[in-house]
Amino acid sequence: MEAATADTKIAPTRAPRKRRTAEEDERRLARFMISPSLILIAIVAAYPIGYAVWLSFHEYSVRVPGLSRGAGFRNYTNALNDSAFQSAILNTFIFTAASVFFELILGVAMALIMHNATRGKGVLRTIVLVPWAILTVVTAITWQTIFEPQLGFVNTALRGLGLPGGNIVWLGDKPYAMIVLVIADVWKTAPFMALLVLAGMQVIPNDVYDAAKVDGANAWQRFTKITLPLLKPAILVALIFRTLDALRIFDLPFVLTKGTNGTNTLSFEAYQQLRENRLIGLGSAMSILTFLIVMIVSFAYIRFVGGNIRGLADEGGR
Amino acid sequence: MSDGPSPRVVGESRSVNGAFGLLAWVVGLAYFFPVFWMVLNSFKSELDANASPKLFFHPTLDRYRDVTKSTTGLLSFGEAFTNSAVVVLVSTLIVLTLAIPAAYALAIRPVAKWRDVLFFFISTKFLPVVASVLPIWILAKNLNLLNTRMALIILYTGINLPLAVWMLRSFFREIPRELIEAAEIDGAGLKGQLTSIILPMAAPGIAATALLCVIFAWNEFFYAVQLNPVQGSTVPIWVTTNISTRGDFLAKLSAASVLACIPVVLAGWIAQKRMIRGLAMGAIK
Repeated sequence: MEAATADTKIAPTRAPRKRRTAEEDERRLARFMISPSLILIAIVAAYPIGYAVWLSFHEYSVRVPGLSRGAGFRNYTNALNDSAFQSAILNTFIFTAASVFFELILGVAMALIMHNATRGKGVLRTIVLVPWAILTVVTAITWQTIFEPQLGFVNTALRGLGLPGGNIVWLGDKPYAMIVLVIADVWKTAPFMALLVLAGMQVIPNDVYDAAKVDGANAWQRFTKITLPLLKPAILVALIFRTLDALRIFDLPFVLTKGTNGTNTLSFEAYQQLRENRLIGLGSAMSILTFLIVMIVSFAYIRFVGGNIRGLADEGGR
Repeated sequence: MSDGPSPRVVGESRSVNGAFGLLAWVVGLAYFFPVFWMVLNSFKSELDANASPKLFFHPTLDRYRDVTKSTTGLLSFGEAFTNSAVVVLVSTLIVLTLAIPAAYALAIRPVAKWRDVLFFFISTKFLPVVASVLPIWILAKNLNLLNTRMALIILYTGINLPLAVWMLRSFFREIPRELIEAAEIDGAGLKGQLTSIILPMAAPGIAATALLCVIFAWNEFFYAVQLNPVQGSTVPIWVTTNISTRGDFLAKLSAASVLACIPVVLAGWIAQKRMIRGLAMGAIK
């Protein structure tokens, strides 16, 4: 059954079409298995997107609820010329790059530790999940108290140890606010990465390691030459989902900094206009622009990196 | 600890392993510190919790008593936990029921334009949540689903489905094709293949996926507060009712968060046992 390759472009060259009907049946079955999920996604995703697009091309009366008129692209030009929105684009990309990068490193390290620990493996695996299990609002408040300038744990510890930085107003100064934001996000979501990577590690066959052992590969070589390439599919899935969430980050800056000191993000700006300023048209335009930015990033990701998801799995088809 | 047969590389020198294990514990504990801090706060008085950090204080269970007895809000502790449990479990079950066949089709059965299908799945994650709340609220209102568990069940299923499909697909792809073909030759139908090979072999992946869905759904706040502000509302909403604009609330909030975390920790404990590879691939071949 060569035709079982998921990519249909490859399938015909590989498989002689001896049983066309069987293949047709397979295809129909596959479609049948996917469609319930696709329908649900269409309802949950497509409707809000269409609605937001419609809103973004109108402007609304602040005084008379429901009164609106067409605005053409005015909301979009206003959004793009808004300096707060421009800085939000930059901040969002800085935040996403930094947090996803550190989450990946920490997540893989955590997964390795959990995978290789000799004692208390079960406890370790459970404990590590806890930061992720805490509500973001609570996480944000906890970090706020830890980084509080006067009584917070960080500054108290820094001063007590005589280290520099004990007087930094962490959430009130420009580069530091973003640093705290990244720390809080990495701390919270690294377990997500670790869990995905750890699960990926479970499907790596033992004999691959044994063979490498025989060949005299040391631990680092085994990690870079065997573990990492085999983990790539799991890591890629974790990376894209983390990137999508990081690009739309809202709750952390909302609670931690209220978007001040260089921490306003795309979702935060959209929220400001939609909820605080009641500028539905402008806020929707910002949401759709965010939507487009996230879509372009994902598209590029699937095009350039995602090709490897399949390629790897096919080559690795032991 | 029943770790099962250790998949770890054998024959490494003992001291290296010992050092590695120690490192694991140190990192784990450092990482765990903020959680430890939160647990400590939950046993403090509000005065101690908001004072400068100190390790010794007079521990009290009063905060736990405060948060579990329903007072101010309409949402009680018991109600919130029941609602959350129902919403989380039902939505996770639906996600798995929908995602396993879809991921199987995408991974193993020929699906035309699989790349577009995968892309379509993540399109739910492009729009800022704040922008989708209003249309979803209107939709829920028109369908008379406001303040019902059903609204959240549908929503959380939709939110978790993309990740579940993507994850499960990547795990299903790891299963050696020859095993499935062998089962096919032996005359196993689709059901036989699923139950005898695919599900057992991908069990760690499925356990991880289920755990992710549970945690996401358990912690979801934004939609829950908009769609179910009072009735049918969930634990995160209950936790935040302890945040007050007047007076100190850190100790109370900590106690509520600790309680809210317990079910997740339990779920994690159950799932991680399944995540030790059920059927080692090497053993089959």
